[in-house]
Amino acid sequence: MPPTEYSADALGENVTRRLARALRAVFPHDNVPDGPYERSAEAILSSVSASPHQTAVIVEGLRGLDGLTGGDLTAVTADELSAVLLQIERTEFFQIMLTNTVVTLYSDQEVWDALGYEGFSSDKGGYVSRGFDDLDWLPEPRVEEYDGEPLTDYVPSIPGGTQPSFETKKTGAAR
Amino acid sequence: MSTIAHDEPAVVIIGSGAGGGTLAYELTARHIPVVLLEAGPHLTHDDYTNDEWDAFGQMAWTDMRTDNGSWRVARDFPNLPAWTVKAVGGTTTHWAGATPRFKPHEFKARTAYGRVDGANLLDWPIDASEMAPWYDKAEIAMGSTHRHGRKPLPANNNYKVLANGAERLGYKYYATGPYATNAEEYDGRPASVQDGFNFQGDKNGSKWSTLVREIPRACATGLLDLRPNCHAVQITHDAQGRADGVLYLDENGAMHRQRARLVSVAGNAIESARLLLLSESPMFPDGLANSSGQVGRNYMRHLTGSQYAQFDEPVHMYRGETMAGIVADESKHDTSRGFVGGYYLETVSLGPAFLAKFLDPGAWGRNFTSFMEQYANTAALWIVGEDMPQECNRVTLSPSATDQHGLPAPNVYYDDHANDTAMREHAYRRTAQLYQAVGAKRTYATTPYPSTHNLGTVRMSERPEDGVVNQWGRAHDVPNLFVSDGSVFTTSAAANPTLTIVALAIRQADYIADQMAAGEI
Repeated sequence: MPPTEYSADALGENVTRRLARALRAVFPHDNVPDGPYERSAEAILSSVSASPHQTAVIVEGLRGLDGLTGGDLTAVTADELSAVLLQIERTEFFQIMLTNTVVTLYSDQEVWDALGYEGFSSDKGGYVSRGFDDLDWLPEPRVEEYDGEPLTDYVPSIPGGTQPSFETKKTGAAR
Repeated sequence: MSTIAHDEPAVVIIGSGAGGGTLAYELTARHIPVVLLEAGPHLTHDDYTNDEWDAFGQMAWTDMRTDNGSWRVARDFPNLPAWTVKAVGGTTTHWAGATPRFKPHEFKARTAYGRVDGANLLDWPIDASEMAPWYDKAEIAMGSTHRHGRKPLPANNNYKVLANGAERLGYKYYATGPYATNAEEYDGRPASVQDGFNFQGDKNGSKWSTLVREIPRACATGLLDLRPNCHAVQITHDAQGRADGVLYLDENGAMHRQRARLVSVAGNAIESARLLLLSESPMFPDGLANSSGQVGRNYMRHLTGSQYAQFDEPVHMYRGETMAGIVADESKHDTSRGFVGGYYLETVSLGPAFLAKFLDPGAWGRNFTSFMEQYANTAALWIVGEDMPQECNRVTLSPSATDQHGLPAPNVYYDDHANDTAMREHAYRRTAQLYQAVGAKRTYATTPYPSTHNLGTVRMSERPEDGVVNQWGRAHDVPNLFVSDGSVFTTSAAANPTLTIVALAIRQADYIADQMAAGEI
């Protein structure tokens, strides 16, 4: 049954789980557990809690997704749900999910772990002794500047043409 | 630190970044007392965090702004035209660190490129030989690697991919600098620990900024009155049209007036133009120092873009100094490529949080997440090239949006010029080839981020009708008003602007000190 009062309390127990499922369909990562998606869902629910309108957008959006997935959005795969989301990309519901989640999901430590990002490093002394230069599948490149002929900075547009002077003209009104 | 009375006619500098912070130090070193107004708080390395969004919230200038025009930033970030810093030290506290000089022809873009349809090109009233000694001083102050005996930084993983790709493409002019972060202890600051965090503030103090060098040294002279959280809202003038004070709001929103004998504006190109426009008066109804009508116009933000590339093997691009890798081969002017001016390629790295937001704003689904899942195997570079000054590209006062103080918000209008588009397409093509040459399986050309280089809105010109300030950054219309930041750039050149801003500020300080000593100001 849809709620009759669109306050945070009326969202029901399953709303975090269902919203998290929709968020997984927005940013599907098979190797990311449910935790980060649920935290992103909680962040959205918290951010819309001050707005009855946006709360209703979330509740009705999820209900609409249920309708488009045969009654229960959590019963279909993330890719099937993604295909449904393609149809509603321009809706406020989708944009709330997208713009919030791209910030929270990719700031989540568990997601960093899954992507192979090591996060904070200043408190660990940086990477100077922890592999900043450990790439070994390419030759060691030169770090100094090229010591041969300097770069020709200016190529006249007419082949063989003369280069104009780039000195400030000493005549004129310069003060 | 000193305290300068509000009714004492002081040298007042607005903004403490590359230009304002440098000018404040150079003047106090010449025994001239300075009031330094900074809109943001006094953050230090202990305040900084390695979390990208928390750092953004702490440091970025997020006051209300609007933007429009055909650039994609207007669509994706309608209230974030630029990513700059609001804090003591300004945007030098989050800059990456690359310090190439302008090339001789880049000071004379109108002469060098000829007439370019739709572009408001103009030669600078100064040239490379005149700037050379000031560049030397700036490089020494900033500790640029590869210059004046400073050691190069070692190759980090992201650089190894860039340099090898460059070599295989036939490029020659690549190196880990010049880059203003210490490879070894220098000037009282330690060597880099390669922690990978630059855009979030440098917790280690290895990177040059006015926060770690010029401002503490200016304080040590006993002649600097640094006022953080003080937002300038108007420059006032006397009956002769000379600047005589600065109105500013303190952190409690109270308005103050600091009397001034000389005012320097260095609030970064959006705020500097906005402040002059806000300073309109019956004598200057179009804004202060705007008889040319050029205040706010010719806004430039550099031709930018990024190329991300993914490999079968790990890269870990986020480890190490973010931008310690520069390729200069395409920085030349050679119209056989189909455009005027040139561009540099520089290593860049974003963490997952910012990469997800900026890779392709609005992207989602498997195509996007499959890219994110290869994060550890990703290398990246940033493209930075000369963009064309256009009169239509400009900062104006919004007729409707206001900031938290109730002041008109700045609106930033920007259209890409056809030359910008041609250069970007060339750069995307060449950089994809560069990475494919070392085995990239997938490349992703990324749209420009909100502007980190903001230039040209108060440009330098020989003739008063062509620009706002003269070759010293001195307003054509108001003899004791100076502009000391990237706003004065007549054209953008391809080089990252900070070195040139610092060199110009050191040179300007020398001029101001001489003029004051001679009783001319």
